[in-house]
Amino acid sequence: MAKTYRALVCCRAGMGSSMILKIKCDQVIKEEGLPIETEHGNLDSILGFTGDLVITMCDLTDELNADPHVPEAVGVKNLVDKEEIRRVLKEWAEAHAE
Amino acid sequence: MLSTLVQEPFVQLDVNAADWEQAVRLATQPFVDAGLATQDYVEDIISGAKEHGPYFVLAPRVAMPHARPDQGALGNAIGVVRLSEPVEFGSEANDPVSYLFPLVANDDGGHLEALMSLAELLSDESFFEGLDDAKTAGEVLDLIREKEGGL
Repeated sequence: MAKTYRALVCCRAGMGSSMILKIKCDQVIKEEGLPIETEHGNLDSILGFTGDLVITMCDLTDELNADPHVPEAVGVKNLVDKEEIRRVLKEWAEAHAE
Repeated sequence: MLSTLVQEPFVQLDVNAADWEQAVRLATQPFVDAGLATQDYVEDIISGAKEHGPYFVLAPRVAMPHARPDQGALGNAIGVVRLSEPVEFGSEANDPVSYLFPLVANDDGGHLEALMSLAELLSDESFFEGLDDAKTAGEVLDLIREKEGGL
């Protein structure tokens, strides 16, 4: 069976921005049939997160990718732009295709 | 429903704000007045942005100021604020901001459906055209109901 990747969608507060982003990511994942499952949280959730990918706002990605304890992070600039999210997630999924 | 969380006092049109901090304070003050957020909730948004950058600027021209529920959220509400002049929030990707959708939520579930509606509205250009044309808070509420009905 093909692997399903686990992604944490997060922002600093773990409430509004990340929820909006999770909603849009889930729509894109469904439309594209990407092997990604999302959960949502805040920066503290990253510490206990054992999945494959962190999806977040662009301004956080450099900070997260510099932290060896954090899985690879991808950033989105416009959290309600499904085309940008589609591009970012498809690129990631293609790079991790088995 | 989004339309049940947006009450008329939370809709403010052509707000004059000198800077992002004043914009956030003006946008969230009605929540404090209505007893839905403590003053600490507002201060947490401001200090969070000063410390970490404008984490609530979601999209070009759009900010959704909010803090964590445990920072003084007493209820669930969403506001709509149209600024008279755009303001810089220090968001490289999405400045300047013309619209604020302040959010207060005291639980993880109660506002979820409303956020789903908001996520749709924020990617709908015709919503912003309608918001630009609105002359009263009542017209904004009608616009949200109309859009929500069509979702």
